[in-house]
Amino acid sequence: MPSPIPIPPPPSPKQMVLATEDWVEYRTGFPTLVRKFLFRKVPPTGWFHTLGSSLLTVFILQATTGALLAMTYDPSPNGAYESIRYITDVQTLGWLIRGMHKWGASVMVILLFLHMGRTFFYGAYKYPREMTWLTGSLIFISVMGMGLTGYLLVWDERAYWASVVAININGTAPVLGPFISKFLLGGPVIGAQTISRFYALHMLLIPGAIIALIFVHMWLVVKLGVTPWPSRPPEPEPEPAFEPHPQQHVDAPVAVPVTAAAEQREVQEVGGD
Amino acid sequence: MADTPAGSHAHAYTAPQAPDSAVTRGQFLTLSSVGLGAMIGAVIGVPATAYVLAPLTKEATFKSVALGPVTKFTSETAFKPTAATYVEDPAEPNTSAGLAWVHYTGKQNQDWLATDAMFVVFSNRCMHLGCPVLATPQGFACPCHGGQYDTRGVRTAGPPIRPLDRFQWEVQKGILVITQRWSVDYVNGQLTYFPVKMPGQPVQTPGPLGDTVPNILYPNVTYTHGPIPKPQ
Repeated sequence: MPSPIPIPPPPSPKQMVLATEDWVEYRTGFPTLVRKFLFRKVPPTGWFHTLGSSLLTVFILQATTGALLAMTYDPSPNGAYESIRYITDVQTLGWLIRGMHKWGASVMVILLFLHMGRTFFYGAYKYPREMTWLTGSLIFISVMGMGLTGYLLVWDERAYWASVVAININGTAPVLGPFISKFLLGGPVIGAQTISRFYALHMLLIPGAIIALIFVHMWLVVKLGVTPWPSRPPEPEPEPAFEPHPQQHVDAPVAVPVTAAAEQREVQEVGGD
Repeated sequence: MADTPAGSHAHAYTAPQAPDSAVTRGQFLTLSSVGLGAMIGAVIGVPATAYVLAPLTKEATFKSVALGPVTKFTSETAFKPTAATYVEDPAEPNTSAGLAWVHYTGKQNQDWLATDAMFVVFSNRCMHLGCPVLATPQGFACPCHGGQYDTRGVRTAGPPIRPLDRFQWEVQKGILVITQRWSVDYVNGQLTYFPVKMPGQPVQTPGPLGDTVPNILYPNVTYTHGPIPKPQ
């Protein structure tokens, strides 16, 4: 005997996905957030507009490989170089992770300059995007800081002497210079405290600042929209030239004098104005 | 109640205010929260700042270190200083390793300040940006950015801004020991000692002001030190 109440058919996979999305949407609002972020309107863009996303991708790669390297790295004068040698030569795929981090660092700086150049040549730093440019500049300085602090961590001769030179360059700034170099050294001379200080800056402080700045930067990009290629404002549409309808060639010689005469009469009768 | 949002379920009731009250309840609570937050921030922030900035006022004390028996350095004939490596702080051999260039003058006076002193002990730290200099027949040369010095350690070419630092030394039971580091410069042709400054930082300017301006622009020194020696 058939059921008196019709049994609804089982939900299709699409319905199940939609229902799940509704469930999450109702509780978090994330689907809307993601949709607004990904499906926003943009002006005609080109390859130059991919530099920011590329930078973000490289940053995520750097953060990931960096976290993996930190599992093995030993930030001490006696252990740093040995731990890096262990990562490169012994640990499974350690060469790959370290290589990605090393080359990714250079790629990030190159992309950063290209991204900055794109912003400059598009005039994208102008009103109303000044804050986007300023937060980008802070990210730029932070990335330079990452380059400085990361370089020492390899702890080979080149890393050591390059860092000595970099710290002494900071020291040559008048008034604040000696304090900046002592801040970087963590004391009056280079020592165990220097490498652990650089490690903390490289691992925690500067990446934290970069992540926070990236959120602000991207919020502004989404809020203000993408800058199109700067161009002249479109020329105003020229007045359309008089183009008589084919029929007018026939009608006009008749209609125009008639209409003109009628209008003249009207003007005379009503009194013009 | 004009300030009740439309559609609000809040009761349209506000407490009667004393007519002479300058601060509303809401303003008071806001100010309290901000003030309390600032206090909590200070409780964390002040020690954190002090913790981070403490090294800025710290100075190192140079620990005397032996370079080797005197006889190791006395075979020099032409200008060919002997390299002497040392570890300033035995607790940190990897970071406090140093190299001194010991130049034997051929004289025998063991007073390091005398004009006929037996040795001149140069620091190998280039006064441009701190790379290690190498001894050459003409003096010293830096591999990093091409700084050149003569046999007195005075810059002859390249970017260094002052002569090479020198070590105070003494001979203890036939062992050459360095006891302090000094920055040096020539003032009116006279070798003059100064408290140690980092490479790239000047110790004096020509003219009557001497070391006044550099001491304002580059205020702190690296090593604690006693009275500044006067060469004889």
